Amino acid sequence: MAAGKGFFTDTTLCIGCKACEVACKQWNQLPEDGFLFTGMSYDNTAHLGASTWRHVAFVERPVAMHPDQDGAFSWLFSSDVCKHCARAGCLESCPTGAIIRTEFETVYVQPDVCNGCGYCVVNCPFGVIDRREEDGRAWKCTLCYDRVKDDLIPACAKACPTESIQFGDLEQLREHAEKRVDKLHEQGLKDAYLYGAKKEDQPGTEGLNAFFLLVDKPEVYNLPPDPVVPTKKVKDAWISMAATAAGMALVSIAGVLFSGRETRQ
Amino acid sequence: MSKTTTRYPRSVEPVHTDGRDINPELGKLSGEAGSQVSSGSTDVHIGSVAKAWTSLPEPQVEDPTYYDVPMLKEPVWEWAVPLYYYIGGLTGASLVLGAAAQITRSEQTRALIKRCHAIGFAGSVVSGGLLVYDLGKPSRFLNMLRVFRPTSPMNMGAWILSGTGATATGALLFEGRNGWLKIPGQLLGYAAGVFGAGLATYTGVLVANSAIPIWQESRKALPVLFGSSALASLGCTFDIFTENAEERRITNVIGNVGRVAEVVAGTLMEHHASAVPRVGRPFRRGLSGMMWRTAELLTAASLLVSMAPNRTRRTRLAAGLLGTAGSLLLRYTVAHLGTVSARDSRASFHQQRAGRGAAELSGVSEHVA
Repeated sequence: MAAGKGFFTDTTLCIGCKACEVACKQWNQLPEDGFLFTGMSYDNTAHLGASTWRHVAFVERPVAMHPDQDGAFSWLFSSDVCKHCARAGCLESCPTGAIIRTEFETVYVQPDVCNGCGYCVVNCPFGVIDRREEDGRAWKCTLCYDRVKDDLIPACAKACPTESIQFGDLEQLREHAEKRVDKLHEQGLKDAYLYGAKKEDQPGTEGLNAFFLLVDKPEVYNLPPDPVVPTKKVKDAWISMAATAAGMALVSIAGVLFSGRETRQ
Repeated sequence: MSKTTTRYPRSVEPVHTDGRDINPELGKLSGEAGSQVSSGSTDVHIGSVAKAWTSLPEPQVEDPTYYDVPMLKEPVWEWAVPLYYYIGGLTGASLVLGAAAQITRSEQTRALIKRCHAIGFAGSVVSGGLLVYDLGKPSRFLNMLRVFRPTSPMNMGAWILSGTGATATGALLFEGRNGWLKIPGQLLGYAAGVFGAGLATYTGVLVANSAIPIWQESRKALPVLFGSSALASLGCTFDIFTENAEERRITNVIGNVGRVAEVVAGTLMEHHASAVPRVGRPFRRGLSGMMWRTAELLTAASLLVSMAPNRTRRTRLAAGLLGTAGSLLLRYTVAHLGTVSARDSRASFHQQRAGRGAAELSGVSEHVA
């Protein structure tokens, strides 16, 4: 039971139908977060948020998909989701312990513990988790914790008509994903690569439990090229803080001594 | 069910919904987000992310973004949090001075010590209030203390503030007493000084521990900046309120060192963050740039007035007010710099492509694609 579970999102199979977005909203009973015509291709969802846990990106590129093809246009679709990082910025920064690592190695926010401090929001290197203002708490994808506990696959993966979203044991998913990349390379799509599949691929997060197959720079999909969990860098700040605290004490003691001497004269 | 909005209000059959479109008579809200409070539409929020185009965007193959949609989320903190950085700093610096004055305890510093402990006590109460106010669920503020988690500077801060409040209260009540309370009272005063030094500086770590590029790149300077600004705030507060010449001599020295250090740390911070030009851009552009310059100018002006010979009541007041305004504005500016930086996805992209993502830690500049 304890094996790590996750998503492999193969963006080359995505057709942009948004069934994952709908299934997620329905199963999790998520309220709407605004109807807006963005003008950004067919993407009127825009980003992940407190009430949007799957988001399909529509990328219009001025280059052909395949090197053998003519034309100067191609369309990329990608269903974005919480990455359930092996080292999760939200989890490590959470001051209440509301964000936990589950038995499936996924990252879960306990809504009955979260006090809405908003610290996870600035600590997610992917900009996934957000606070819903009326609610006051932070929310994100649970990787369908309730369904997975009952041996069901997450709603988005269940609804995906092309198996662009695949759910399973992480080991098997990684193996399968590597085979898929090899196959695409054979077919001539040399740009295909895995994003965050392994610790070595993405040392900053030590690997994503929801990883992706992409065919262009991560930036194109609004993904960071070399993300890092903030905790890994904050040692510098703690050292600086210790030095500053000592400095404050020295200045204060010197101030008292120096001015004291002056009065005694 | 929570509040509802009316969709299609002028139609023959308007829809009353909380944004879920679930008929409460037929469906039960038992899903993972069933308890999420919603009043219906929140167009305002999404509107800040996606703006209407005025011209067709040029695709930039070399330096791409996703329709310039922010990659990161903006901080959700409002006015109370920067104000807390300021008050927490003032509180912390007062308690450090209180402990320092205890070492060379004399008749003259007796009142100063009490005053410092009083500021420390009042400041911790106000700080706590401001933090609870900003929580999304204020009734759950005690959840901060259900764990002890060194990876979360905010959790460490909750413990530091609790410790500060407790020791400052104790010091105010018992420090300077005689009899069996003498030693415990003194120890409480010193402990309050240690907690105070933490309170004035940990907020720098709090901000630095973030995915927002401008804050992350400023991580070495931020605690110095906040700590210096705390000393300056202390000097300014005494400039404004104290008539006692002996106290002022002490706080004037401390305040001036703080003002100088604040300007130096600010310059350092701008320098660090500007190593990647796109990351440092908010320091120089727009409202954030203007706020940053104004805060530096106010502090510098306060220093000049404070150093001028023949200080009168009026110049002291001017120095105090200028410096207080500078310190306050500085905290709001640091907060605003983060918001601006989070909105600019290229700031993150350029930072990471320049080898300042995870590559900075391994020393190997290795990127995907």
